[in-house]
Amino acid sequence: ATCSFKMVCGILVKPLIPDPNLNKIPTNGSDRNADSLPSNRTDEQALLTTILQRTALNIIDVSAVDSQGMEQHEYMDRARQYSTKLDVLSRTLSQKKPVPLPSLSSQPHQVLAADLVSYADVQQVSKIAAYAYSAISQIKVDAKEELVVQFAIP
Amino acid sequence: MTTALTQGLERIPDQIGYLVISEEGVLASAGELENDEHTAGVIMQMVRTACRFRLHGAAEPLFKRMSVMFEDYVYAVTISGQKVFVVKRQNNQREPVIV
Repeated sequence: ATCSFKMVCGILVKPLIPDPNLNKIPTNGSDRNADSLPSNRTDEQALLTTILQRTALNIIDVSAVDSQGMEQHEYMDRARQYSTKLDVLSRTLSQKKPVPLPSLSSQPHQVLAADLVSYADVQQVSKIAAYAYSAISQIKVDAKEELVVQFAIP
Repeated sequence: MTTALTQGLERIPDQIGYLVISEEGVLASAGELENDEHTAGVIMQMVRTACRFRLHGAAEPLFKRMSVMFEDYVYAVTISGQKVFVVKRQNNQREPVIV
């Protein structure tokens, strides 16, 4: 889908990160002493880098475009092509059957009659959930560039 | 058929209601859950969501029973033979008292 989008709009992809093969991302000014970091820190960095690279590869920076015009009839042809493709896809989608229920037990009555979850377990789970909620609420986006740009239409 | 499904549920200790639900709808209901299609709907959604959790792409769901716990009661839920069984039980557990 990314390829087709490029053809329609004549966009040249400009990577957001200059070198997509870069395997280290700067860690806010600290020295690159990956060797002395404990292995799970390095893994975490590697994981973050992968996510960043994947995002950069999938993003088309529409603000960095020198858009070349397209002939009206070319545009209409292309639009018709995509419309047909979408029709075919939507037909396939509506035929999808809902996932069947898995079987969790062959003894449902026994399972349901068994001892309830203990108070101690419930307390522990509640505590863990509270920590997770607190951690998630501290995630924020640090926007370094404009997130909304003008899309140049000839 | 309904008796076979529900007999076991009737005998569950401190049960105050139950539901047996299939893809098509509620097959049986009793006690505080009698005719409670709303609760049936919500629980179906919850259990479907729970079934989607897989550890490292394991084929089988992670759990045998899902418990939705409130202050004084619990909904215990399981799935067997393409049917969802829900039983509402009293929950009398409190903080253990240290004597």
